[in-house]
Amino acid sequence: MVSTIQNTDVKQKEADRAVVVAVTSRAVFDCGADDGDEVCEVGVAFPLLQALQRVNERLLEENPSESLLFDVVLITSDSQQQQQSSRIISNTRHHGLEISRFCFSSEEDFTESLLKNNVHLFLTTDRDEAAQASQKGVFSALLNGKVASSEQLRVVFCGDAVIRTDTEPPSASQDAAQSFWAQLGEMRRRFGMLDSPLSLVLLTSRGGRESCGTALQTLRSRGVNMDEAYSLAGAPQSPILSLLRPHFLLINHLQD
Amino acid sequence: MSQNNGDTLTARGPDLTSISNRAPWEDARMKLKPSTPTRKPKPPKPENAITIGVSARVLFNMEKEQQIYEQQGLEDYIKYQMEHETQPFSPGPAFSFVKALEAVNTQLRELYPDSEELFDVVLMTNNHAYVGLRLINTINHHQLFIERFCMTGGNSPIGYLKAYHTNLYLSSDPDKVREALEEGIAAATMFTQEKITEVSDTQLRVAFDGDAVLFSDESERIYKAHGLDKFFEHEKAHENKPLDHGPLKCFLEALGKLQKKFYGKGQRMDCPIRTYLVTARSAASSGTRALKTLRSWGLEIDEALFLAGAPKGPMLEKIRPHIFFDDQMFHVEGAAEIGTVACHVPYGISQAMPKKGINDKETSSAPK
Repeated sequence: MVSTIQNTDVKQKEADRAVVVAVTSRAVFDCGADDGDEVCEVGVAFPLLQALQRVNERLLEENPSESLLFDVVLITSDSQQQQQSSRIISNTRHHGLEISRFCFSSEEDFTESLLKNNVHLFLTTDRDEAAQASQKGVFSALLNGKVASSEQLRVVFCGDAVIRTDTEPPSASQDAAQSFWAQLGEMRRRFGMLDSPLSLVLLTSRGGRESCGTALQTLRSRGVNMDEAYSLAGAPQSPILSLLRPHFLLINHLQD
Repeated sequence: MSQNNGDTLTARGPDLTSISNRAPWEDARMKLKPSTPTRKPKPPKPENAITIGVSARVLFNMEKEQQIYEQQGLEDYIKYQMEHETQPFSPGPAFSFVKALEAVNTQLRELYPDSEELFDVVLMTNNHAYVGLRLINTINHHQLFIERFCMTGGNSPIGYLKAYHTNLYLSSDPDKVREALEEGIAAATMFTQEKITEVSDTQLRVAFDGDAVLFSDESERIYKAHGLDKFFEHEKAHENKPLDHGPLKCFLEALGKLQKKFYGKGQRMDCPIRTYLVTARSAASSGTRALKTLRSWGLEIDEALFLAGAPKGPMLEKIRPHIFFDDQMFHVEGAAEIGTVACHVPYGISQAMPKKGINDKETSSAPK
């Protein structure tokens, strides 16, 4: 059973133009069992939502009638969280988060709510959830466990698998990934080189400069220009990732 | 582990006369060229390697582009770079040093095929990834073995230097160099030089000034405060007390580690790495303390040249190092005049009172 509640405090986005990002509510609010306290702790995804909001604000500053905006949907699939649904909604208001819709479903059919809401990117801290959504063709990514501190929305794309060349037809989730990237690319183009509220970062772990170069070219051919690029060529990822401070990491192998 | 074409592989330096014009995305493996291994070796793990971080502007000549950036701003700069994407940059001041490092690597791989104790050159640039393709094309064009890079899009590269366990950082931006020094990373500022003399392609030669480069600036302070006589007195009195280490000491140490690997295979006399101390100290007096200090650190230097205050140019002309480190711009400029690639270590008391010399007009916000 899937139900959707619209947030009347927030202007709903244009369905066919917005970039719909779904986030699991447990990553946004950590509502403990203690009912005494109305205000929940914020979760790892909280700074991300703030960053997404900032991008929207800047997009509207550039063009008040902009329709290519982030449309954030909160997914609640475990029953414990569902009991807290009113707190989730009230905390959203309390923190002034720009969440358009709240979706409630059971654990088994949360993917249905993703599909119903035309989700372009699903973010969760749960690897299994991400895999499940991926299987249904929804582009998914894992949230960065460490809370990112930058104001700027930093999206890191692990480009090693970006070149699944056109020898095989792309899977549904690869299509979803590509279209998400194209949308981000278009959004990024709304801003200049400096002082952008969003930064697109390419990271290639294996392979050398050729892999990174090919990834840069491939992405560019799809209208996505990277701000930063890092070629690790086998060097350990984690020191670099902790410097990059991504809000989320897009890794292709979740798709296959 | 790399595979070498035993008989055709030359361990000598790069063949700079045969730069070919290949399309950017062609495979870098060159089966036809005898001096290149048929399979590209894997880069070593950063903790095992001696990592040299170089900025784009010292590896390549980007003067024209730098001018566009300074006069017309970032957007025009990026536009220009993208329009000239397939046009490789010509070599910059660090180029011959990097080529020499690669030549040493080739020889090390021959002697120790399984070892990761090699030089690893990482491109550390402030540039946006828009310039990335042109930089990659240029690396391909010049057949450099650079597989790792950080294009930070305007953010500071210092954190990345640490993440890569960088042993030496070379940049045209003195602010970044100072930041690196403050983080304990050996670093020096490089400048574009009009004249670069030919250097050996069989032996990497690295020359260091002593005070405030290999050693701390403690003695220099005494000289500046109390004059030459007091300096001599002090050095004689403290002859047996080792000087404190300076910012480039650990790099000398890293070179020494690689030298020992060559000695281990019987290559002491014609070691492919040679180090020099070129100091204004004099052999008769103040030089002793310098040598004793090195010995106390367990470090060797192949040649110690005590100039007793004489200009360093003629000596450098004889040595022909691939790179020379000095803390005083006066000496750096003097070296550059005779065609030695010289870099400035902005450390110590000399920075407070620069001697006469034209300071480079770099702006710290420029992409590197």
